[in-house]
Amino acid sequence: MIKVEHLTKQFSLNKEQKKEAGTTDKFAFAVNDISFDCKPGEIFSLLGPNGAGKTTTLRMLSTVITPSSGSIIMGGINAVTHPDEARRKIGFLTGSTGLYARLNANELIDYFASLYGVSNQLLTERKKYLFDLLDMNEFAHKRIGKLSTGMKQKVSICRTMIHDPEIVIFDEPTSGLDVITAESIIQLIRDCKAQNKTVIFSSHIMGEVDLLCDSLAIIHKGEMKYQGSMQDFREKMSEKSITAEFIKTVQA
Amino acid sequence: MIFKIFKKELKETLRDKRTLIMMLVIPILIFPLILNVVVGVSSSFEESAENKTLKIGILGEPDDYLAIKLNEIPNALGPKTLTPYHGDSLKMKADLREEKLDIIFIYDSKFSEKLDKMEPTKLICSFDKTNIGYEQRAQKYVQYIEAEERLKRYQTLNIDEQQITPFEIAFENSASNQKMIGELVGGFLPYIFIAFGFMGCMYPAIDLFTGEKERGTIETLLTTPVSRWKFLIGKMLVIILSGLMASFFALLGLFLSINFMDIIPDPEIMNVVNQILSIGFVLKLFLLLLPLTVFFAGIMIPIAVYTKTFKEAQSIIAPLNIIVLLPAMAGLFPGIELNVQTALIPILNIVLTTKGLIGGTIDYSLLILSFSVMVVLAGIAVAVSFKQFGKETNILS
Repeated sequence: MIKVEHLTKQFSLNKEQKKEAGTTDKFAFAVNDISFDCKPGEIFSLLGPNGAGKTTTLRMLSTVITPSSGSIIMGGINAVTHPDEARRKIGFLTGSTGLYARLNANELIDYFASLYGVSNQLLTERKKYLFDLLDMNEFAHKRIGKLSTGMKQKVSICRTMIHDPEIVIFDEPTSGLDVITAESIIQLIRDCKAQNKTVIFSSHIMGEVDLLCDSLAIIHKGEMKYQGSMQDFREKMSEKSITAEFIKTVQA
Repeated sequence: MIFKIFKKELKETLRDKRTLIMMLVIPILIFPLILNVVVGVSSSFEESAENKTLKIGILGEPDDYLAIKLNEIPNALGPKTLTPYHGDSLKMKADLREEKLDIIFIYDSKFSEKLDKMEPTKLICSFDKTNIGYEQRAQKYVQYIEAEERLKRYQTLNIDEQQITPFEIAFENSASNQKMIGELVGGFLPYIFIAFGFMGCMYPAIDLFTGEKERGTIETLLTTPVSRWKFLIGKMLVIILSGLMASFFALLGLFLSINFMDIIPDPEIMNVVNQILSIGFVLKLFLLLLPLTVFFAGIMIPIAVYTKTFKEAQSIIAPLNIIVLLPAMAGLFPGIELNVQTALIPILNIVLTTKGLIGGTIDYSLLILSFSVMVVLAGIAVAVSFKQFGKETNILS
């Protein structure tokens, strides 16, 4: 379960940034007072055009950056005041996730498992399960730098899931991937839902959203424009396509 | 947890070719290469200068006193050929300038007459001083002829040479061989160790911080339940180890060069050198290099954390090498010694302390002061690194 209330992130602007933005304000809001809930067994999608504040929101949820104000409760833990505890519950995957090219897949998974404090017994079980599931055994001892994009994506998925997180955050997970590799991510998101995990993902690909999500929030310029179930969104649509409806909502 | 981070970062670092070259290959080869080139080139120059047949021009005739005496000089003092110029000094000087001659002797026409009268007479010996060995050869020839003439005069005047020699002067060097070695090479060696310590830190620092940002791995790392300071310390330990290893391999290269390249023919000096390079010296040296290397890591990390690309980080850190090495260069100048003032100047203090350790002249209170200064600076550098690594704007591109 994720519960976000009045979440705000503001950044101070330097001279150059003020000039670019055509403002004299000292601060700019990347995210301004947004609230939403994501429930276990549900896929929640955060939508918005480029620069809407999706990544900033997900970075705050994953505790990489600290909110300026507001609260984030992740699996019953206040992620703002106890980020280390909250991180144990989170798996985080982005489309631009890099991997350590000079390690092999097995070494990388072992390293991340140790960072999450996964016991040796659990690690052996999880590795067997994930390596079989993702068909990784063949290249587990190959240096990551020598793997194909698809293989690397499988390693990323395995890294995200090795500690069996109850909350999984995907930041534009299929961005820049070919359709086959993107499909493995879509499958992972579905599997997470089936395993009653709380899933939140950001995207600007409406097809993906339509296919996967149970509820959604649309943000633009850091502000909440729409929040509700996917069912409601479809029913209240006045445009012909979801993409057109999304554009209308953003521009409203 | 810090050890796990350290282990992973070390494994990755040791698989990086650039780091391995800077940390291991270049340091271990630098001394054998430098010494091989220096010893080889200088000995081949000396040998060729000694064996070269010098073309000597004399102003007068082949049967002049000087020509006869020069011809009498044994070949053991260096082979030579004589060319008389029959009084044409302009042509002889021109031939010297055009390097048709190596040495010329100019004397007046009454040269042998004055000698017979036992009067002092002028002899000009001219040569190009940039040519190695010419001056020594000219001195040998003139001293040989002069000694013979002097002896002849003593005999003519019936003088006992012993009676007109008031002193038998002997200049003795009170400095021990160790002190001499310390003075001659004591500044240069720490300079090399410091330079390699810096370069050994550079690539891992950039790779482990800027590289994480550039490759997009930092974000996932920071979503793990491990405090940032633990990542900082784990990574920093690898950078420090890499810097120390680069210095160590430079020292190992020096040790191997000395022991297997036969560059020190004198067994007594060799013995002293081996005594200097004892385990105790190495431990003291690395104890001094430790806070210095922490300091290096501490100034590189904030830069590596701030910059966004490997190239950008390299373009800032590489020139920093020159700034850092300036105080180390000051330690090479004669007359700059370790005292309370110089012990407060970072880097220079380590050079001078190491110089003292090599020469066996170290004042341990100044060693402790130098060490303390570097520990304080290293602490400040670590604190700055910690602050920079904690900034959201620096860690995310």
